[in-house]
Formats: sequence, C-alpha cells, structure tokens
Amino acid sequence: MERLNIKVNGKDYELQVKPWATLLDVIREEIGLTGTKEGCGEGECGACTVIMDGMAVNSCIVLAMEANNREVITIEGLAEGDRLHPIQEAFLEKGGMQCGFCTPGMIMSTKVLLDGNKNPTDEEIRKALEGNFCRCTGYTKIFESVKAAAEKMRGEI
Amino acid sequence: MPIKRYMDRIDAIEKVLGQAKYAGDIHIEGMLYGVIVRSSIPHGWIKNIDFDKALTYKGVIKILTQKDIPGENVYGIIKKDQPLLAKERVRYIGEPVAIVLGEDESIARRASHLIRIEYEKMDVVSDPLQSMNGGVKLHDDGNLLSHRKVIKGDIDRGFRESDVIVERTYRTTWLDHAYIEPEAGLGYMDEKGRLIITSSTQNVHYKRNEISRLLAIPEERIRIIQATTGGGFGGKLDMTVEGYVALSVYHTKRPVLIRFTREESFLSNTKRHPLLIHYKTGAKKDGTIQAVKVDVTGDTGAYASYGSTVCLRVAVHATGPYEVPNVYAESRMLYTNNPVSGAMRGFGVPQIAFAHESQMDIMAKELNIDPLEIRIKNALKRGSKTATSQELGTSVGFIETLKAIEPFWKGRKKSGTRGFGLGSMFYGMGNTGISNPSSARITLTEEGKIALHTGACDIGQGSDTVLLQILCETLDVDGKDVLLVRADTDLTGDAGSTSASRQTYISGKAVQLAALNLRAYLEKEGFYRGRGISEIYRSYRDRGFPPFEGYFDPPTEALDMDTAKGKPYATYAYATHMAEVEVDRITGYVKVLRVYAAHDVGKAINIKNIKGQVYGGIAMGIGFALMEEFIPGKTESLDNYYIPTSMDMPAMEAFIVEDEEPTGPFGAKGVGEPALIPQAAAIANAITDAVGVRPYELPCDLERLKKLL
Ligand code: FES
Ligand code: FES
Repeated sequence: MERLNIKVNGKDYELQVKPWATLLDVIREEIGLTGTKEGCGEGECGACTVIMDGMAVNSCIVLAMEANNREVITIEGLAEGDRLHPIQEAFLEKGGMQCGFCTPGMIMSTKVLLDGNKNPTDEEIRKALEGNFCRCTGYTKIFESVKAAAEKMRGEI
Repeated sequence: MPIKRYMDRIDAIEKVLGQAKYAGDIHIEGMLYGVIVRSSIPHGWIKNIDFDKALTYKGVIKILTQKDIPGENVYGIIKKDQPLLAKERVRYIGEPVAIVLGEDESIARRASHLIRIEYEKMDVVSDPLQSMNGGVKLHDDGNLLSHRKVIKGDIDRGFRESDVIVERTYRTTWLDHAYIEPEAGLGYMDEKGRLIITSSTQNVHYKRNEISRLLAIPEERIRIIQATTGGGFGGKLDMTVEGYVALSVYHTKRPVLIRFTREESFLSNTKRHPLLIHYKTGAKKDGTIQAVKVDVTGDTGAYASYGSTVCLRVAVHATGPYEVPNVYAESRMLYTNNPVSGAMRGFGVPQIAFAHESQMDIMAKELNIDPLEIRIKNALKRGSKTATSQELGTSVGFIETLKAIEPFWKGRKKSGTRGFGLGSMFYGMGNTGISNPSSARITLTEEGKIALHTGACDIGQGSDTVLLQILCETLDVDGKDVLLVRADTDLTGDAGSTSASRQTYISGKAVQLAALNLRAYLEKEGFYRGRGISEIYRSYRDRGFPPFEGYFDPPTEALDMDTAKGKPYATYAYATHMAEVEVDRITGYVKVLRVYAAHDVGKAINIKNIKGQVYGGIAMGIGFALMEEFIPGKTESLDNYYIPTSMDMPAMEAFIVEDEEPTGPFGAKGVGEPALIPQAAAIANAITDAVGVRPYELPCDLERLKKLL
C-alpha cells in the first residue's frame, strides 16, 4: 500500500492505495465517484476521461500514484450546486447523448478543449474528441453540443 | 408533422451530471465480485479442472461450475441449447466454464488465471460449408440450425423472361456491438429471500424466465430491474451476466457484482452473423425486375441464440424494397465452433441489403439506367405484393424516401476519385410471423401524477421519452404531470424486448391504448373541466382501482413452412441513404464525405431522437462498410476492433418521411435498425462509382480495397 495525496473536485484526499491501482480505480472505488466510466480499461475509448492538472487523461491507464499531489476534476466537479456547467447545459439542450455512457468523458474532453480554445473550428472539435468513442450518436449531436457550449462560454447565448 | 407534445430526453439531466446509475456503478456493502473462467480452445472435452491454487488464493470465496446449477443448465431465446456453464464439452473460444467469486475484483481475476483446464481437443468446425458436410457433429440434432425458403411465382420462368441476368456472390464477416458499456449486473437476496438483479439489459421479463429455470425457483421469487443501459444493439438481449450473478447470489447469499472487461465482452457477446450470399437477379430491358434467386449460408457459431430469426428475416427481406414477381430465396444457418452469432441491429438485413443494393446498381449499369430510376421503377408501393405475397395496404413511403434524396442525387458532381452511391431498404417492424405483444399500465398517484408502467427497456435509443410523449399526447397533459416506472418485473408488465425496432410501434401503441382507457375515465371524472388528479385519485381509491391497461400485438400471420407465404409483419419501415465518398487509390483509404438519409417513420414522435438514431446508424454503417471485423481468437480489444471515431464521420442530413401507419400510435413505426441497414450498401456503391471496382466483401478496408485496385 502506498500513500496518495490527491485533490479531487476541490477536495483533498489522503488515501492508502495498492501500487497497481489506477486513477480510475481510486476515483470510482475509493472515492466513490462513479460518473467516470470504464469502457475498455486500456486507454482506447475515452469513457474514463478526467482532467488532471488541466490535461485530459484516460484515468484507466494512469496509475493512481502518478496523480500524487495533483489536482483532478471529474464530471461530478463541474456543476456548482444546482447550476450546470455551460457544457453540461449544452449537451442537455442539444441532446448530445443517447445511452450516455460516453457522455462524462466527452464532457471532460470538451472542457479541456474549450478552456484552451474559446472558438474551435469543426476540425479542432473532431480532433479533440478523437479519443472519445461513442457508439450511439454518430457524434453529430455531440459536435453541436460542443459548439453551443463554446458559444455559451463566450457569453453569446 | 410530428405529434404536438415534444419532450427532451428525460434521462439527459442525470447523464450530463454523471449521476445515472449503470449496473457497474452500484455498490452494496459486502458485495462479492465474480469473474468467469472461459474456454481457451474452440472445441474439446473437458478432462479435468484444477481449482486448487485458485481456491486457496486469499480472498476467494467460492468457485462455481455446472455441478452447482440446481435447475436446468441450458438457456436460449428461441432454442434452448446453450449451457450456462459448460458441461463436459466446450464449443467455442470463450465458453464459460466456471465462476470465481472473490472479495474484490482483482482477487477474483487473479485467481481465475490460476485455474487450469485440461482438454481433449476435438476437430474444429471453422466454417459453415464444412459444417454442412457434417463430418463433425456439433449438437445432437445435427449442425443445421435452421433452413428457410421464401418462394413466390415461378423462378425459372422469371429468368427465362429476363433480358439481363446478374449473378454475384457477397460475403460479410463477424461484427461486434461494441457498446461503450460492457455487460454488467448486480444481484442480491432481499430480506424475504427473493433474488433481485439489476443489469444492463434489453429485456427484463425474458431474463427472469431463464433464471427461474436455471435455479429451479419460481418466477415470483425473482425480480429483474433494468439499470441505466449503455447501449445494446442486440447484444444485451441474450443472457449476458444475469445467469452468473443469479447462481452466485444463490450460493453465497451475498450481493454479487459481475462486470465484464472489454476483452470479456468481445469473447462473450453474440456477433453479427457472417453471411455468404449468392444473388441472381433477372430484369427486362426497361429495368423491371423479373426474378430474384438468393442463396444464403450463415455461420451461427456454437449455439443458436437468434440464428433462426436471422435466417428467416434474411430470406423474407432478400429482394429488398422492390416488387419482384418471381422469388426463390433460401437461407441456412449452421453451427460451427465460432463465436455465437445472434441479434445485432437489423438481424441479418444489413448484410442482405449490401447484396440486393449492389445487385440493383450492377443491373442499372448493365441496362444503362440511372440507379435512382431503377429503384423507383421497382419500388414497393401500396398494393404491391412482397416476396411472401403480402399485399401492402398502408404506410408504404418508400418512393417518398427516394424522392427526398432525388435533388441531391441529381445534383451530384463526380470528379476524380469521388463517387456517389445509393442504398435503400425495407424492414419489418417487430418479430417475424409470430405474436410479439406489449402491454402498458397507467396508475394515478396521490401527489397528482399520472404514472406510466412499462416493461420496455430504454437502452439509450430514447423509448422512455417517446412513450411518455405518447402518453401526454393522448391525454393532453404536460410532461410535468407524468412519471415513468420502467423495466422492472415487479412493477411493470411484459413489453417484450427492445429489439426489431418495435418499442415505439408496439409498446407505443400499448401506451396509447392504456391512455385512451384512462382518458375516458378522466373525462367522466371531470379532469378536463379542471378537477385535479390528486382529487380524482382519492375518489377512485375508494372504489377500487380500475385497470387502465393497454395491450397491442401487431396483426401478423404465421408463414408457411415451405414457401413462407403469409404476413410476417403488420407494417414495414422504408429508407434510402445516399453516400458521397473519396477514395485514395494508393492506400485504399475511403473517406465518407457526406450522407443524406431519408426515412419513412410513419409519424415522427420525437424528431431529435429519430435524427439521433439515423446519425448513429450511419456511423455504425460506416464501421460495417469500411473497418469493423471481429476475428475469432484474435480480436480482444478496441485496439484491434476499429469503430468509427469523430474523425470518421461525414456531414450528415436526415429527412423524415411520414406515411402514417394506422395500426401504430399516431401513425408511428420504428427507426432503430432501419437507420443502419442501407448505409454500408450505399458506401459500397459509392466506392464503385468512385474507382470502378466493386467490393463484394465487407468490410472494404484498406487491405481489401488495395487488392481490388
Ligand atoms: S476506459 Fe479508459 S480509455 Fe477506455
Ligand atoms: S451515447 Fe452511447 S456511447 Fe455515446
């Protein structure tokens, strides 16, 4: 067991973790935040995407100890009380999901994109979401959601 | 025009917040984790299993095998031929042999690797043609699971009277549903000793029935609840984890969670049937199709699953959406030692559509007729007779789908290695030639809500929302006045499975009928004159609950066993897609640039949902056409099974045609599978248009196309 200091959604945790535990294990099993999903466990599908120190990472292939002394944001960390994050609002309004299993990961990747680029082109959106698989929607409504989110975050709508 | 009452997805809010509970998200104190031990060989006798090391592994609670099954060790949606845990023989790589239960998932997983199974290997049947020769017998009743024929008119005369005959062979391979949520389920025993299972599923009532037989306990002692489900596409129709969870809870009396890894999902879930299709079409000079002869051989793998359904559906849909006077379609499904193939979005029709749409284009070229014209010329319309001699009376909007695409087709500009292709389809709603009813029940609550109880499983497609919309539209009430109780064998009646594009049409109708019953009651009780539901609830409670129930079973007729004459479906959906592609001649890379899709849905209940289905279907069709291929014994991760990503998607536009179906709710039919069916065919035709070579085998990936070029 190793000692892990980690900040998740603004809260500090000090945990004992197995050396082989992944960041995803810690988020879901130790901290109990199950919004982050596991679709493959191998870094392929993006369902487990969280933000670590401002970067989108596949938490299933990040060892928990690599997140030591770092700050992580998960899907549960976006809304403030009853107020949805504009990206969540946009996915809600545009219907950017069907089964919803890819949605948390999509939203987290979108956040990293929009935090760094207020007005991404279609191509930039596709590129940013390339590692987030969706089997249901054909991505169109997701792209629309990302665009609407960008507009909201620029204060246009 | 869609119905008046629009509703956004009711599940969207919890999904964007990350609060939706999928089966693998549920945690109960003290729960165990189960991992399945699977066969590593395709065919053999189990000689010995050595559990010693695993049993002494710290944290292992129990290991279960077939000996521990108290009831009948066999299941299957149509034919009961599949053991839950292998008896003495395994028939495919990945066949479950034992369950390891541990205090945590990694313990169970590590211990499962310590189990040694000794086999006596048997000859392997790796192909349906080999299976047909019968050298190795895979099941007691032989290797042929199913054999169906659809016969109409006089096929020989049809070809004699044809001016041109086109004869080709097509092949497709195994595909995986690759829903992003792998299979998962959690079970426990409640205080009364009842078995409760929450799982990722497409049908709760069927699973209760199977578990009852496996455990030899009555159905009333079992409750199955659908968790939020991360996609199904047919792969969560069969038993996935439920039987294993049930058996584990039965023996340990503790809560048990089983969730598959992606690798286990690939190993265990049913695949799209690989089909070998010989197709012969005869036509007059003017393009009128005279005769279609089709011979299909399918690989159903080790066990039956939905093999016989696919066998029949393929034969019934063999002509495509065209009126053909002389038809002889024959289809066989054979057992092999390959993965079990089963239901996957379209039940074989996407494969046969690839063949009939390729034939259409080849014929058009031979006769120098425009591909759109030849489709319009032969299109099914009102009064047409299908291959099963069913006369189509209502809701045949096929030509309208062609007309919706026509402006884009006419406006296309071919250049370089850019090409355009059409794909059309028809698809029968619901099960084939058998009863497949749904039921719905409505109650009122003290808080003044109207509660809809439906057994229909929403697997992401949006039936929860659509069924509530139908309720609201029928009753003239708002979304805020209603609530949903869904897919729970204790609280909802049987709605049948979420498959065959049947929930909007069949369950939707059941909801509408229940709502009409309630409406008559509410009218009497003064609801429409301003009396509130709470008040009515109180008065009606004293007089006993009147049943506000609805039941709908689409009117079909059984098919003749020899000719399949009859009425397999009450109604059909129709669609046409047009694809524009660009082909790189050097690498064989095909980029799909643009897709137009027109669908006759009868009546649109929820336009956003319909378009969502269509776009998702297009994506899956791109995968089928260009990249997806499951290779038994090799494919184990999304790293070697490619599904379309955001970078693969074209610009898409969906058009809705509404030719109302009188038996459907407000005229609605279904769209879930039609969305996918014509897409691969359209791409194959576009590739041919672009570079002049025709793919006869899917996927038309880099390697295959390079070979052709
Ligand atoms: S679960 Fe991490 S990338 Fe798929
Ligand atoms: S909505 Fe189902 S995987 Fe994206």
